[in-house]
Formats: sequence, C-alpha cells, structure tokens
Amino acid sequence: MARLTSSFPAPSTPLGANRRPAAPPLAGRRVILPLLLAVIVACGGGAVVTTAPPSQPVVLPTTNSTAAPTAPPSFPVSLTDDEGTVVEIPAAPQTIVSLTPAATEILFAIGAGPRVVAKVEDLANFPPEASSVPVVATFQGVDVEKIVAAEADLVVSGGAPFGQGPAVEQLRRANIPVLVVAPATLADVLDNIQLIGSATGDGVSAKALADTMTADFDAIRAATAGLDHPKVFYEIDATSKIFTAATGSLLEEMLKIAGADPITTGSATAYDIAIETLVQADPQLILLGDAAYGVTPEQVKARPGWNSISAVKSGNIKAVDDIVITRPGPRLVEGLRTLALAIHPDLVLPPPASPQPSAQG
Amino acid sequence: MTVGAASLARARQAGRLRSLVARRPVVLLAGGLAILLVTLVAGVVAGTVAVPPGETLAILAHRLLGLDVPRTWSTAEETIVMELRLPRVLTAMTVGVGLAVAGTTFQGLLRNPLADPYVLGTASGAALGAAVAVLLPVRALILEFGLLHALAFLGALGAVLLVYKLSRVGGHGQMTSLLLTGYAVGSLLAAGLAMAMYASGAGLRQIFAYLLGGFEAASWVRFATALPLVLGASILIGLRARSLNGLLLGEEAAAHLGVDVRRERAILLTLASLATAAAVAVSGLIGFVGLVAPHVVRLMVGPNARLVLPLAAILGASLMAGADLAARLLGEIPVGVVTAVIGAPFFLALLRSSRVGYEL
Amino acid sequence: MIRLEGVTVLYRDRPALRDVDLQIDAGERVALVGPNGAGKSTLLRAMAGLVEPAVGTVWLGGAPLAYLDRLAIARRLAVVPEVAVLPFATTVDEVIALGRLPHEHPVRGMRPADRAAVAAAIERVGVGHLMGRDARELSLGERQLVLLAMAVAQASPVLVLDEPTVHLDLRHQVEVMDLLVDLNTRDGTTIIAVLHDLGLAAHFFPRLVVVDGGRIVGDGPPSVALAPDRIRDVFGVDPSLVRLAAGAS
Repeated sequence: MARLTSSFPAPSTPLGANRRPAAPPLAGRRVILPLLLAVIVACGGGAVVTTAPPSQPVVLPTTNSTAAPTAPPSFPVSLTDDEGTVVEIPAAPQTIVSLTPAATEILFAIGAGPRVVAKVEDLANFPPEASSVPVVATFQGVDVEKIVAAEADLVVSGGAPFGQGPAVEQLRRANIPVLVVAPATLADVLDNIQLIGSATGDGVSAKALADTMTADFDAIRAATAGLDHPKVFYEIDATSKIFTAATGSLLEEMLKIAGADPITTGSATAYDIAIETLVQADPQLILLGDAAYGVTPEQVKARPGWNSISAVKSGNIKAVDDIVITRPGPRLVEGLRTLALAIHPDLVLPPPASPQPSAQG
Repeated sequence: MTVGAASLARARQAGRLRSLVARRPVVLLAGGLAILLVTLVAGVVAGTVAVPPGETLAILAHRLLGLDVPRTWSTAEETIVMELRLPRVLTAMTVGVGLAVAGTTFQGLLRNPLADPYVLGTASGAALGAAVAVLLPVRALILEFGLLHALAFLGALGAVLLVYKLSRVGGHGQMTSLLLTGYAVGSLLAAGLAMAMYASGAGLRQIFAYLLGGFEAASWVRFATALPLVLGASILIGLRARSLNGLLLGEEAAAHLGVDVRRERAILLTLASLATAAAVAVSGLIGFVGLVAPHVVRLMVGPNARLVLPLAAILGASLMAGADLAARLLGEIPVGVVTAVIGAPFFLALLRSSRVGYEL
Repeated sequence: MIRLEGVTVLYRDRPALRDVDLQIDAGERVALVGPNGAGKSTLLRAMAGLVEPAVGTVWLGGAPLAYLDRLAIARRLAVVPEVAVLPFATTVDEVIALGRLPHEHPVRGMRPADRAAVAAAIERVGVGHLMGRDARELSLGERQLVLLAMAVAQASPVLVLDEPTVHLDLRHQVEVMDLLVDLNTRDGTTIIAVLHDLGLAAHFFPRLVVVDGGRIVGDGPPSVALAPDRIRDVFGVDPSLVRLAAGAS
C-alpha cells in the first residue's frame, strides 16, 4: 500500500532526462542471437533451421531510416521512431497531436503548425501561434479519449520517460500512428526534426531547418574550439539533491560545444552529484538552470560548503534560460548560443543562420 | 452501565437488520448485481469525451450482442467505447473482485480484521518486480509493458512464497508468525524497491506510476489474462468457504470442527495470493478496497464466508470501477488516491459504529 | 469407544504423557482430574487427534486415529473450545451454527436438519435468551455456555470438555454439570471432562481418572480414585480438606 513510498522523496526528473534506450549493443545482439541459435541448432544434428529474422525490418541503430527527401514527400511512408517501432503513416497527416513541448516547436517551425489540433501543456508557451491549440495532455497524463475523438492521424509523443507509455499503447491500439521521440544527442535532435518532417510531409522544410541548425552548431563549435574550456557546473536543481548533467547526456554535449569542461554526475543513469564531489571538482563557473524557479546567485553563495568553490569565491554564478538550453527543438541553437556566451562572455558569434523566433526565456 | 445498555441496543438493532437481510441473501445478491450493472454502464458512458448514452448503448448492443443497430456513431466513438472504456471498466471490476476476495480470505485466515490483500508482502514483491522490469535493458515498448506486468505478477507470488517458507514455525501461532514475517519481508522488499528506484534514472516515472496504481494500461489482452486467474481463484475460494468459517474461533477449534487446518490454510493462501498477484500485476497497488469491502458486507450479512465472499466480490468490483470512473473524471488522478480518500474515512466510521476489531 | 494403548506424547522433547493405557466405552461419563501440568489437557488433545503420540496408538470409535481425517474425527468427537477471540462481530446463533460444520453441505451450507439441530442445542443448553446478541459482548460465562451449545449442536457421540466451569458461577457450574449428566443419560453421549474442582468431579462423575506427571495414577469411582492417600500423594494436600459428597446422581 501507500506506506511503501512514504520514506522515499519524490524526485524532480530533469528535463534533459529523455533517454533513448541504448541501441547499438542491442542491435548487435539482434543479429548475434539468431546466428547463435542457428549454429546451435545446426550442431544439434537436426534439420538446419534458419531462424526468423528479427521482427524489425530495419537494423539501423539510429533513429530515422528514410533518406532526407528533396523530392515532394510521398505517402504512405514507413518510419522507425526512437524506440525502434516501425510506424506506418498512410497519408499526409492533417490532424496532428503533439505530446512534447519540443515536438510542438518543431511542428510549428517546419510548417505543420496549422495542422496541429492538440498539444501538451507548455509552461513556456512557445511558439505564440500554438497558444490557441487546445491542451489534451499535461505532465500528469494524456487524455487519450480526446485524441481519439479528434480522429488524430499522427501523434508525436515522448514515450515512457514522459509517463506516456500507456497512452502510446492505447493510441496505437486505436490505429493512430504514434512517433516516439527521445533524443539523447545533438545529432538525435536533428534527426528528430527530419523524422517529424518526413511524418508530416514537410520533409523539405525540416531538412532545411536541420541543415541550418547544423551550420549554426558548427559555427559555435568552431568559435569555441581554440578557447580555454573552463570547468563549468550546470545546476538543474538543488532543492533536495544536486542535479546536473548526466554523463553522455545532451546537456553535457552542449556544454562541451559551448566551450566548457562540464562537470557531470559520472554516470549515465544517475542525475545527482554529491556535494563533496562537486566541491572537489571545483568549477570555475556555475550556470543556474533553475534561475526561473527563483534561485539566485546570493542563495548559492549562502549554501553551506559551497563557499569553497572557485566559482562562488569569484562570484562567477550566472542565471540562464533553461528552456532554450534543454528543449530538444529548433531553439536549441539559441540555447547553445546562450551557453557559449555565458561561458565566454567576450565571444563573438556570427549571426545565426536558422530562423530565430523572438524567443524569451 | 448506560454505555453497556446503549451498545446492547445497538447490537440488537444490528442483529435485527442483519437477520432481516440475512434471511434473504438473494435480495442482497440481486441488489449488488444491479449496482454492478449500473457501475458498468456508467463507466462506459462517462468519460472526458461526451459520447451520448444512447449511442454508447447502441455501440455495445452492436458489438457485444451482434444486434443490427442503425449506425449513428463515428468510428472514433466506437473506438473510445470499445477499445478504451469497456476494457478499462471490466479490468477495474476484475481487480476489484480479486482484491475483495483476497481481503476476505486473508482476514478470515489470519483472523485479523485489519488484514488486506497486501499483508503477506505481495505489494512489495509486485512493486519490486515492476521496478526490475523497468530497469532491465529490454528494448521494445510492447515487451517492456508486458514484461512489467509479468514480473509484477511473479514478484507478488515470489514474496508470498518467501514469507510462507520463512514462517515455517511448526504448530501454534502459525498465523501470527505469517503476519509478522509478511511485515518483515515486505519491509525488506520495500528496501530493495527503494534501491531499484534510486538506480532507475529515467525509468523512475514508470515505477512511480505503477506504485500509485491505475487502469490506464488496461487492454482486452490484459483483461483476458487476469480474468480467468481472478475468477478461478475466487470461485475455488468460494467453494472452501466452510474452512474460513471454521477458522472463526481459532485454529484448534477449526480442527475440532473438522477442518484440515494445515491443508486448507495452504490452499487458501495460495488461491488468495494468486488473485492478489493477478490483480496487482494489472493495476498496480490500489488500497482500501480489499480491506473495506469485506467489512461492509459483514455489517449486513455477518461473518459467514459463504455470503461474504460473493457479496464482497460484487462490492469490490463496483467500488473499483466507480473509483476508476471518479479518477478519470477528476483528471486522471491515481485511482489509489480516490480509494484512500473514500476508504479511509469510511473505515474510521465503520470502526466507531460497529466496533470492528478485537474484543476479548 | 476411545482407547489409548501405550501412548507417550512428547512436548518439546519432554514426555507430557508416559505410556498411557486408557479405555473409555460408549456412554460413559468420565472426569479427568489431577494437579496442574499433570498432562490432562495433553490427554484430551491426544484423544482429539491434535497431538500425535510419539509411541502408542489412539483408537477412536474402533479406528486408529491416524487413519481418520479431521472430518471423520469431528463427526465422532466434539470438543468444547476455550473461549476465543472473535475477529468479527458474530451473533450467538452464528457461533452455535459453527457446530454443524462437520455435517452441513460443503458448498451450500446448512440444511433444515442442521438448523433443527442448532435450535435443539440452543434449547438444551438454555441460551435462547442470548439469541441475536453479538457473541463478543457476552460475559465469559455466557460465552462458555454458547460454546457448549455449539459442541452440543455438533451432535457427536463423544463430547470432550477442558475445564468447562472455569468462568462460571456456582449456579451455572451446577447447571452445566446437570446438563452433562442429562446428555449422558438421555442421549447416551460419552462425556469426558477435565475438571479442577474435585468436589464437582466426584459428585457428578461416576468414574474419575487421576493423572499425575503424565501417568494415570488412579482410575475408578470417586471413592476409589480419590482415596485419602491418593489425594495426599497426588495433590499434596491434607485429605480432610477435600470433602467429597457421596455418590453421583
């Protein structure tokens, strides 16, 4: 009963915690296992049995399988989402539902905005054009009935890490195509954009967006390459435990591109870091990703034990807009720029090539 | 003296009400089934999308009874009713039956009115099994979801087995030692669960969702899997109602009355644990229904298990389906919250009015 | 009816009964007496099949106890249980109805004959005035009578009681004794009762079995079984303190 959970505090799952299950080793396993079975059976002396190939026709470990189209999109199309599920989309979707804030931004950025009939609640409320779209999901749950009633023909979901596992299953049982997006790297984000573009028939604009974002990322990477990479601690939350970027996470990647030597939790599954580890790591800069929730540099300085950290001693604590930094969508460029400029204030960056909407934090 | 007289009067009244009803259990049974039917219809008619009741019934008549009804509804509405609501309500009812029957059985076996289906560590075992399923690096979504339910089921059964084996103190006080061992094992497994949750990273959300309990994951397949287990175990327990009655005065008295205590205890424990495990595997941990339903029924018909078991099953089904409906309409809050909010005050009232509890 | 042959019962490796030979025929009325810890209760439990003898055999109704399942034992022998804790509100009628467990239909429950037996038992024991009451709210004495009625409802040829008068006042003690005599003489029920009150035992029971240290040290009519020197040896008291009324009714 409920007493089980009473001693365990509810954690705050960091935004960047969407994780795609580790694909490459398992993909290899998919090939090895049937081979092994075949060998064993053959050695058994019985009739040689060719085992059935793995159920997924695509063995690629990466997220999307279709080539970026330069020709007009053709339907029906068969796409593989971030969980490896093959999703069939019979015709160009006209009734699209977005269940992650990043997906909403992507859909509107590639021109599918007018066809989005329902979305997930977005506290940052971006883009402004999406504010009139009715909400059918919150962080607590998804109203599957409403989506079915709206006769959606494409749903983009965050999957199990968003708590949308059962909803995805129910929607698929109702014969609604559902794409699960769970990017773990910058490349994944770009792939997501093209995946969604292929799904909505906006492949051209999606590729264009992805290309310009890539160019922007590269420009920032080039600009910071030759600079000193200071030790940076990005604080996601510190109200109970100290949450920061996990090893191998998107956030860590972004911090590196932005020209930092990021302090991570040391593990891919743990999101928290011990205060002693942090003190020993001794960052030179602290970025407050929780500034929007009321955390100020003064509060940080007052925390017991933190005053031995170089960043605190030198007052090098800066607030940043966590939404643009952690939302895996078109504004990630702005997020990266924000990071780069916070880490290297004197940095001069070329103006962004990708269309930057008037974004506020 | 006045207190004694007052309680005497109350007992006489309760006795009168009881004898009135107990002589006609058929009336109660019919009434219970009627409530069940109403709950079923309500659960299918109501939801966040307004499907007119007439159309809902038409859809049901068409799909379930094969009647040739003029098609006034849309495909979406049919999907909502047949694929989303109906399996969910039926699953909730099945879980309600399983928990109520298991609760009745454990209360009778352990002779403890506070016993609920989770008393022998099934809750912790199921939760740990679910957590392990989430942690396992198995990829495909379908498998992961099926795996979670399967491991929850095995975890629940495994916990009971562990408790039973560890509590093999021969002879007297076997039930007490079961209860205490159940608590100890449950605590141990809960610690394991805490560790698993800590190491789960992004999977924490899923584990938590399981712990809070709910019927979002209900499907025809899961319903069809849980139903035979729950129904089978419940019927088999019902056939052994005599043994439960015999245990009212204690294990020795039961033996004197012709009950093979050792055997019946093992059989009843197994069946009740099976029912609980099947319920918990499908719906997560939902409390209070298994505890309260048997008591409400006993208020009306007394402790005779022959009457309590079927009536508690019906009440449990109605309660669970009703709670799920309320949870749905209140914005998909966890069902466990609804059952607790309704069940806890109700249970307190029960305690005050009819002196449910130990007496010597 | 009941026969113990060379029965030794061990309780935690200590012999609670040593090499006991005892025969009780159908229709007898026997009281088991002895000091505390003598093994009287163990003797009863051996007869009822609750403990298995380490050595020896117990026979019940002509069959070895080991061959009988609990249902068969219950149909031959009824035991008035100790006053127990009831976990749920249970009426007096429901408690007494439990006595029909060995007889009722396993699935459908009580048949008319069972209900009649319950009614008869209620009248016989005289607890009609307690009908409909919650058994948990009765006094200890009333509860004892209810349990006695339950065992009477069981209608087995042998009725076993372990200290049935413990919670009763004198009047009720005599009433219960009278009832036992009545059951024995009118219905032919074999009565075996453990009693601590020697006077009561001697007055109402034509045969006394004296148990001491796990052995039977006396068996016969009260005057013989409770001869003065036996009283001194077994109970360790001055025999003149124990005034035995002559003869059983």
